Parts: sequence; C-alpha cells; structure tokens
Amino acid sequence: MNPEFLLSAIIFVPTLGALLLAILFDSKNSEAMRLFAFATTLVTFGLTLMLWGDFQEGAGGIQFEVAKPWIPTWNVYYRLGVDGISLPLVLLTGLVSALAMGASWSITKHVKGYLVLFLLLETGMMGVFLSLDFFLFYVFWEVMLLPMYFLIGVWGGPRKEYAAIKFFLYTLAGSVLMLVAMLMFYFNAPEADGRFNLLKLAEAATAGTLLSPSMQITAFVMLFIGFAIKLPAFPVHTWLPDAHVEAPTPISMILAGVLLKMGGYGIIRIAFPLCPYGAQYWAYTMVAIGVISIIYGAFAALAQTDFKRMVAYSSVSHMGYVLLGLAVWKINEATGEAIGSDYWQMGLNGAMFQMIAHGISSAGMFFMVGVIYDRVHHRDLNRFGGLMGRMPLYSGLSAGLFFAGLGLPGLCGFIGEVFVVLSTWNYSPVLAIISASGVILTAGYILWAMQRVYLGAEYKGPHAEDLTPINTRETSIASVLLALAIVFGIFPAILINIMSPSVKSMAEAAQAGYEKSASQVNELQAQR
Amino acid sequence: MVGETLRNLLMIAWLLPLVGFAVEIFGGFWGSRKSRTAAWLAVGCIASGFLCSASALVIWGNANHWSVLNKQSHHSAGEHGEHDAHGEQGKGGHAAEPAPKAEHGSVSAQGPYVLTAAVEEHAAESHPAGPTVYSGTLYYLARIGSLDISLDYYIDSLTLVMFTMVTFIATCIHLFAMGYMSEELTEEYVDHNAHLSNGHHVHRPGRFYRFFAFLSLFCFSMLGLVLAGNIFQVFIFWELVGICSFLLIGFYTERKSASNAANKAFIMNRVGDFGFLIGLMVVWTFFGTFRFGETVDEKGTVVQAGLFQLIQRDETGNVVRDAESGEVIIGAHDAALTPGNSRKTIPYALLVVAGLGVFAGCVGKSAQFPLQTWLPDAMEGPTPVSALVHSATMVAAGVYLVGRFYPMFVQEVLLTIAYVGCITLFMAATIAVVATDIKKVLAYSTISQLGYMMLGLGVFGWGAGLFHLVTHAFFKSLMFLCSGSVIYGCHHEQEMPKMGGLWRKMPITAFTMLIGVIAISGLAIPGLVSWSTIFAFSGFFSKDAVVATSLAFVKANPSHFLLFLMPLLTAGITAFYMFRLWFYTFAGQPRDHHVYDHCHESPLIMTIPLMVLSVLAAFCAIGGEQGKLYLMLTGDQPAHVAHGVAAAAGGITLPGHDAIHAVHNQAGTLALIAAVSGTLIAWVLYGTNMVNVAEMKRQLAGLHGFLANKWHFDELYDGLFMQPAHIVGKFCSWIDRTVFDGIIHGSAKVVLFVSKWDRLFDENLVDGFVNLLGTSTFAVGRSLRVVQTGRLRQYVMFIVVGVVALFAILFTTFPG
Repeated sequence: MNPEFLLSAIIFVPTLGALLLAILFDSKNSEAMRLFAFATTLVTFGLTLMLWGDFQEGAGGIQFEVAKPWIPTWNVYYRLGVDGISLPLVLLTGLVSALAMGASWSITKHVKGYLVLFLLLETGMMGVFLSLDFFLFYVFWEVMLLPMYFLIGVWGGPRKEYAAIKFFLYTLAGSVLMLVAMLMFYFNAPEADGRFNLLKLAEAATAGTLLSPSMQITAFVMLFIGFAIKLPAFPVHTWLPDAHVEAPTPISMILAGVLLKMGGYGIIRIAFPLCPYGAQYWAYTMVAIGVISIIYGAFAALAQTDFKRMVAYSSVSHMGYVLLGLAVWKINEATGEAIGSDYWQMGLNGAMFQMIAHGISSAGMFFMVGVIYDRVHHRDLNRFGGLMGRMPLYSGLSAGLFFAGLGLPGLCGFIGEVFVVLSTWNYSPVLAIISASGVILTAGYILWAMQRVYLGAEYKGPHAEDLTPINTRETSIASVLLALAIVFGIFPAILINIMSPSVKSMAEAAQAGYEKSASQVNELQAQR
Repeated sequence: MVGETLRNLLMIAWLLPLVGFAVEIFGGFWGSRKSRTAAWLAVGCIASGFLCSASALVIWGNANHWSVLNKQSHHSAGEHGEHDAHGEQGKGGHAAEPAPKAEHGSVSAQGPYVLTAAVEEHAAESHPAGPTVYSGTLYYLARIGSLDISLDYYIDSLTLVMFTMVTFIATCIHLFAMGYMSEELTEEYVDHNAHLSNGHHVHRPGRFYRFFAFLSLFCFSMLGLVLAGNIFQVFIFWELVGICSFLLIGFYTERKSASNAANKAFIMNRVGDFGFLIGLMVVWTFFGTFRFGETVDEKGTVVQAGLFQLIQRDETGNVVRDAESGEVIIGAHDAALTPGNSRKTIPYALLVVAGLGVFAGCVGKSAQFPLQTWLPDAMEGPTPVSALVHSATMVAAGVYLVGRFYPMFVQEVLLTIAYVGCITLFMAATIAVVATDIKKVLAYSTISQLGYMMLGLGVFGWGAGLFHLVTHAFFKSLMFLCSGSVIYGCHHEQEMPKMGGLWRKMPITAFTMLIGVIAISGLAIPGLVSWSTIFAFSGFFSKDAVVATSLAFVKANPSHFLLFLMPLLTAGITAFYMFRLWFYTFAGQPRDHHVYDHCHESPLIMTIPLMVLSVLAAFCAIGGEQGKLYLMLTGDQPAHVAHGVAAAAGGITLPGHDAIHAVHNQAGTLALIAAVSGTLIAWVLYGTNMVNVAEMKRQLAGLHGFLANKWHFDELYDGLFMQPAHIVGKFCSWIDRTVFDGIIHGSAKVVLFVSKWDRLFDENLVDGFVNLLGTSTFAVGRSLRVVQTGRLRQYVMFIVVGVVALFAILFTTFPG
C-alpha cells in the first residue's frame, strides 16, 4: 500500500468502522457488533504494523509526509507524517486499542454507542500522533476529548459524571492554553505558508527566527501546562485517579495506555522543538516536577485502599519518569553549550521507552484489576486475598505485569526507569538521588498490594463463589501484554533503534535553537 | 579460540536453567501434580551446567598450563600473571613460551593491570605464562550516541570458580530437594502452618513443579550475575536473584509470615539497590562505560578501555590523582582507548560515593548491618532454598561483587566495608547464641560469616574474603541441608528445645552436621600429619586467612584495633553457638518424646548430597593458602593487592602479602585458641549437665531479651521507616483530596457563584434594559399608531410641515 495513503487509512479506518457500525448493525445484536469493532481495531493495528514494515530505521527525519491544503485561507493543511518518535506511539495505540476492544466484552449497556465512540476515540488518538499541522493536531486533540467524556460519563462507575466533567474541564483548560500558544506561533511565523506547519515552525525555531526568547518562555509555559495536565504531572494530576476509578476497564486501559502518552508526545514534538529557549529555561522546573511526581505518586499509591486508584497513582509516579527524562537537558550557563548531550539523549530515549513500557504494563495492570472487578464487583485491597490459590493462572499473569510495573529487569518497565535515572546525575545529582529512591517506594506499594490481593490463605471479600478461573479471552489479552513486556525488557534495542535517530535530531535542533536564542539575549544585554 | 569455547560453555550452563524454568513452569501447570518430571529436568539442567562449568575450568587451566597452581609461594612471586598477560598483549601473542596468550578473536585477554617499574621487574623473572581474562559482548541493549549498554561476559579465574561452585552446590541441593519437597507431590497438600478463618488448615494442590521452576530461574539469575561483564548487567541479575528470592521465600503463599518475609527481603534489598543505583549513576556519568574489561571490535583490536583500566594506580597502590585539583584521573594508559563520554577526572569524594553506593547494594544482598534483618525472616522459605539461596550463593553475591569491583574501591570504601563486616559478624553471632530455631541459628551464623568475608575484603584480604566465601558455601549449604534433614525427619519441627539425642535416630545427618560444625568453628589439630602442617577442615583455613589479614591490617593501622579483636572474639562465639546447636539437637537425651519417637533418618536422595557436601566441606581447602582452591581463586586477583597500598597523607595502609604472611602463625594460633575455648564452653553448658542453662538465662534475662529480640532492629525500622512511610503516603493522599481537589472544587464553586450572579445580572439588568427598550419602543409605536390614518391629505401636510421645520432648523443652525 502506498505509505502516504497508509497514514490516512490508519486514522480513518476506525471512523469508517464506526460509520458502518452505526448504519449497518441492529443494536440488539451486540455480539456481532463487538466482533466487527474488534476486527476494525485489529485491521488498524495491522495497518500500523505495515507502517512499521515500511519505516526506514536509522533515519532521523519525517517519513511519508502527506500535505494537502485543507483551509487554504488560514494556511491550514492536512499534513501527516511519521518519525521515530511517533511510530512507537502509533504502534502502541493500535495495540492497546485492539486489546482494550478485546476487553470490552464486559460492557453490556448501550453497546452500539459504546463501540462507535470507542472507534472515534481511536481516530482521535491516531490523528494526534500522526498530524504535523498544528491546527490538525489541535482538532484531533479535541476530537479525542469528546468520546472520552462520554465513555467515562455514560459507561462509568457510581461517580461517573463527576469524573467525566473533571477530566473534560482539566483537559480543556490545557487546550485553551495550547490554543493561545498556537496563535502566538501563527502570528510570528516567518513564512506565511508554514504558519501551522510543525516542521517549518521547528526549523524557524532552530534558526532563532520564530519567537523571541522572552516569548518562548511564555509560550512554553502555556504548552507545558496543557501537556502536563495530560501527562499527568504533579500538581495537575488529580483528574487521573477519579477518571480511572470511574472509567470502565477498557477505557482505563486506553487512558493509561495511550492518552497519558499524548502529554509526553506533545512536549517532545511541539514544546521542545518550537520553544527550545523556553524549554531550557524551564528545564530545572520540569525535572523537579518530574521527581516530585515520581515520589509523590508512589507515596499516594502506598496509601490507597482502592485497587484501581492504587494503579492510577502508580501511573502518576511512572509518568514522572517521562517528564524527568525529557527535561534533563544540561547546558553550560556561561557558554550555552550542552554538557553531556548524550546523557540528555539517553534521558529522552528513556522517557520515550518509558511511555511505551508504561503503556504496556499499566494497561495490563488495569486490565487485571478489571478482570477481578468483573467477578466480585469490588476493588477494596483489604478484602481480597488468596487469589493465587483460587485463580492461579490469573495470579501468575498479574504477577508478571505488576513486576513489569515494579521495574524488574527483564521486563519493560526497568529499561525506561533506569535509563532515565542514569541520565539524571549529569543534570543534577541531588534530584537524581531523590528519583532513584523511587525504586524503594515502588517495590513497597506494588508488593504490598500484591500480597493483599494474591497471597494469603483465603479470599476475604464478598461473592467468593464468583471467583471463576480466567477465561481464554482474558488470558490472551494478558498474555500478549506480558509477552511484550518480556520482549521489550530483554531486547529494548527494538524500540531504541527506531527512536534514537529522531530523538538525536530533535535534541540537536533544540540545542542549536537554544544557542541562537541565547546569543540574541546576549546581544540585547550588550546593547543595553 | 579458548575464549569462545569458554564463553559458549558458560553460556550453556547459564541458559539451560532458563530453558528449564520455562518448560517446568508451563509443563508443570498443565501437567500432573504427582509427576517428578520437573525436578529431574531441573536437576538435568543444573548438572549439565556443572559439567560445562567444570570443563570450562579445565580448558581455562590447560590454556595457561595451570600456571596459577604452580606458584610455590603465596606471598612473594605469586601475583604477576596479570602483568605478563598485559605485557604480551601488546605484542599480540607469544611465540617462544608454551604459554598461550592474549587471544585476539572476539575476545581479548587482559588483566586488570597496573604498570609500575617495580612490578615489571618482578614480572620479568616470574612465570611467563599468566592467567588470562576473557571478555566480550553478547548483545546491545541500547546504543545512544557514543554511549552503549550491553550484556557482556567477563571470564577469569574467579568467574570460573564461582560457576563451578554454584552449579555443584545447586546440583546437590536440587537432589536433596527432590526428597525434601516430595510431600508436595499430591493433589491435596495440607499446610499445617496456614490457617483459614474457621481454624482449619489450608488444603491446596501440591506445587512440586513450581518449586523446581523457581529454583531453575534462580540458578539462571545467579549464574548470569557471575558471568556479567559489566556492572549494569550485574545490577540486572542482582534484581533477578532478588525476585527469585522473593518467590522462594514466599513459596508458601498461604502463610502470612512467608509473604511478609518475602516482601521484607525484597524491599530491604531495594534499599541497598537504591545505593547501588547511585553508584551506577556516578560511574555512568563520569566513566561513560559500565564494562569491567576492554571492549574489542570484530577484528580483535581493543577499541575502548573498561572501568578497571580507567582507574590507574601508582607504585604505592594509590589511585593516580591530578596534581593540582586532587581529582582522580580517568583514562587508560593509551588515551585513544578512553571512552568518548568519560570525563577527564572524577572528584575523589565521588569515587568514594560510587564505591559506597555499590557496596550499599552488597550490604542489602549479603544482609550486612544495617540491612541484616531480612535474612533470618527469609528462613520462612523451604529449607533447600535457605541452603542454596540464603546461605551458599545469593547472599554471597554481595561479597562476590565487592571482590569483582575491587579495583574501583579506594581506602575509605574499604575501611567502611571492614567496619560494616566487623559490626555484622559480632552482632549476628551474639543473636545466634540465644536463637532456638535450628534454621534461625544457621541464618545468623550465615550473616556472621558473611561479615567475616566483608571484613576480609575490607582489610585488603581479597583472596581471604573470597576464599571464605567458597568454603562457607560448602559447609553452610551442608549444614542447612542437615537441618533440613532434621526438620524433614522430625515432621517440620524446628525448635531445638524439642529435640535432643537425635544422633541415634539419624546418624548420617548427625555425623555430616558435625563435620560442618567443626569446619565453621575453625577447629584444627596442629602437627597431625607433620610438624609443619595443620590438619583442619576448610573453615579453619579461610577464617585463618581473614583473621591474619586483619591482624596485619591492625598492625599497620593500630587505631583500628577493633577490626582484629572483634573477629577473634567472634571466632570463639561462633564455635560456641555452633556446638551448642549440635549438642542441643543431636546429643544428650530426647527432650520431647513425641518428636523423638516419630523421627527418622532421611532417604538416600537426601543423605547422599549430605555426604558429598561433607567431603567437600572438610577437604576443599586442603593446603590453605598454598592449596589448589586458593591459588585457583586468586589467579586473577587485582594487581595492587599483592603489594599492599602505602598510606597517603592521613590515610590508612593496606597490608601486602608479605605483611600478612609475617603475622599468619600468630593470628592462626589466637583464632584456634578462641575456637577451642568456645567449643569447650558449649560442651560444658550443653554437652554435660554441669551447669543449669535455664538458671543462667534467668539471671541474664535483660541481655537475653535484648539478644532474643535481635537487638530490636525490627522495632526500630518499623518505627523509623515503615510507619512514617505509611503516614507520608496517607498525607499525600489527603493533600490530593483536600488541597488540590479543594482548589478545583473551590474554583468550580466560584465559577458557579459568578455564573449565578451573571444570570441575575443578565435576567434583571441586561434583560431588564432590553425589555425596557422593547416595551418603550412598543409603547411609542402604539402611541404613534393614531397618526397612521391612511389619509393622503394629512400625510402631505405632515411632509410640508416637516420640510418647513427642516429648513427652519437648517437656517437657524447654519446661518449664512
């Protein structure tokens, strides 16, 4: 297939599926609809794999760029493309969507509506990762928001309205700031043709001709807040536990597996390349926020009694590593030159890897919580126990996925965390030490939760008779995730080789852009 | 191609248990609960591993014509092999000598070297053939810029001895476990130590296969740790042995005590690993590489120096420092080989931090003070696990790593290691004196002996510490298996006060245990064979080496006299508590007839490993420091060890081999006196009825309570760390719910309030105004309706009036 067409197909096959689903199917025939939707997600995932097959590893730039005028008067283009930063996330989206759809058999209310919204959500997510036009990016960003709102708000738990509105407003607040930043770029772009073109804007930023240093500082803050909410980073993370707890299992998987990654992706795709000076200006703040998220999230997870809430806080902690790895950009304050730029690239790669790893392990953890919730309808950590005897296969698979979350070597979580932590000392020894202490807390909350749920002599909660063994569908989903966790844990180079060339060119461009802006600042000071 | 052969053999030995694990865990899950297949598979894997390791050892020895064993004297001419290896490496092979050398294939031969004038002179006159180190890369985990992280291998004499030792002991323990765990071969296992809420015992299917699968996974991890060619890889397998330990301690998942112990073990290890990680960060940031040895490209040329080459030492043995800044210089002798990312110097303090960090990991793994409390609890695992994981191999990994990473340690780090070992060995021995659970006594004894090893390494007895590691592995695994045999024979009774007189019922166990006890106590008979030699079991020689090194160290640094006194005193305590254990269990009259009557000797599959291990525990160290084991082990010892390190200004002096040899006899005699005294006291107290032990216990109740409560470390840590962590966790959660959500809810309320006012404003003011406008317009319109008559004449008149009025206004406003 023509790779340029492939990109559009990846985005719009789910939409097409949603349309067909809405038109062709009788809403009483849930099973057929589920199968059809599942097939759609599988096809989409297959397309992303084809994209991977066509992708040229080792090249740093954008591949398969598509550009068609969309709203010419405003210079808005339908511009898509993929590089080593977006490809792994596209693959992850395809995978997690398919698996989450596989987990959607437990949804029995308004099945048709659910499936249509789910597929539209996938379109939004794919669009965000593939678009290279800021306006298009923004549109997809918002497109993804609405289905999510309804999926939580309609199919969620007891406090679903509260959680859905909280999620929506938080994200919307972020998008508004992003919109303002977008307009700042629009009116300052040197070329009229490239006002929304992320590549052109990045080039201009590298040349120092996009925003003045002080404007970069402002624009970066606005972009960063928008993305940090999505990430989520301390202190704008409080929507996450509520959204996760109320969302149905498959939506939790999507939330943790894909949606959170958009925050990290936005930072590395938009905020850093477009405002390199601003990024460097705020680097210490970001590193500090990352470290606080790691520790704070871990402590909060330790205190939870709700299984799902515990996993949600573990996401806060794990995504802290992403922010930390992205921001460990050390420069010599006097000369503006990078210090140990390879360590920053290692941090960036580690952060990218951590996003994928977290997508796998946390989707798995949420799924495992969902499996048990479907059976006994409660999530109180203190009223489980003895599942290892009752459901041995389920417990074994869960143990693997939780160990992946714990950062055990040989499983994916380890590589991301340890790469990030190792690259941090070069930036700040103190923050590096604090972030490393996270390994103790992580082991603490995960092992303690596992002990209360899986180990022990007997099950202590209600509906003990419903503890049926895990079924084939559930086993397959969990096995795929665990197998991937193992593969990426042992052969991380599979992903790193895709990412590192693109990460390298991004880092070098950002460094060049920073140096340009820094010299502008020096000139200004000299004139005074 | 010796290097490739060695690599392949050791990789087979390493990976076979992993294959075994995969087959056992899946095959066992879907197979019969009564099948022993899993066990045979595990035994097959590890026994093949042993054969591979042993062959590797032989191949390695042949390749260098057993030059390490031909060193006649251990204190003068012995340690120059490394320099030879290096010297020849430069020439790229050696023709004249029978010595096969520096192999330039995919592997390199090099030693951790120091080149000094004095050493080179020595080298010229000593053996031309030297031991070689083979290292290389297996595959890359990631390559980012000029940084790369890979899985490597590093094969030297220490690796080979460890491999052989681990696989051999593991094979014995696997066999033993087939007997010990045979009760699990059932569909309905009754766990008498786990209770349901209704008071019944837990009934569950047997988990024989799972036990052997976990053992296999452990063997894989442990061998990976030993084979590792870089410090990061060590960390990877470090964590993996940790999780295996977690799985095995918590094997009886139904028991709360077991899962607590498993968590405690893993989390306390993670505390140590936190330090390890800091050490890794420093190494990574400053050296830019994790590899121990040199990196070699496909053509066999050395392209990058490893950590051991980047730290250089001068002729006094001290690290080379920059004259101006005082920072330690990083760089290989050949500057072109220095990794691209390494910095030129590292502050001395950070080198200390790196060393202490890595050592912190070792403290956790080897259960040293202050992270020792997890090991006794780890005895919740089945006894073969205690024998393999928690005495012979995994807990010794910390000692192994200290030995492996030795070239990177500076004096301050070594002194810390020595003191940590010293505190640990004494403290653990005192607790062992009052413990009554047979496994707990052995656990504390393990901690104490690990302390000896650390002390030995810390006082610059590189060979002594590792020597004790190997001998201890044999006798301690033996003793744990004996205790397992007792527990099995007594139907899971572990309390020694309920035993007594068991030697009549289980003679093999009692006799082999006695060999272990004598070995660990360090008893010896001087002059039995000839006047100049000493007849003793392995423990004597290795402990003797440690004590002699610490005496030499104290003579050089008198202010650290405790480093000799404590181990000497503890040698007596060790003999005391070990013989107490033996007398308590096997000698005297039965104290509990129920236990005694049902007790029986274990089957052959359990006693044969005991006998095999007892032979090794007795004789593996024959010859002491001239013996084959010691010479083999120290074949590739770090170069600066032999000659000691002269004190830098204000620093400490580390003794060389000559200094140690000078005090060897003196130290040996003192240690023997201590051991004999300890043995005699134990005999008087527990072997005879001359003293009422219960009365003594009552009189010393305060001390006894303090020791029996393990110096109150558990309570201390609970209060100091566990509770605060939970409180901080609750606090964070509270902040989220009240502060951050409070702000969100508050702003939502403000918005609602504003919009309410907005609505009032809209409805009253804005709408009021608009309505007013509307109504008034309407009113005006209505009032104007009267003039809408439809009569043309009237309209014309209005127009005329209007025009006139307009003109009037025009003329009055703009006159002229």
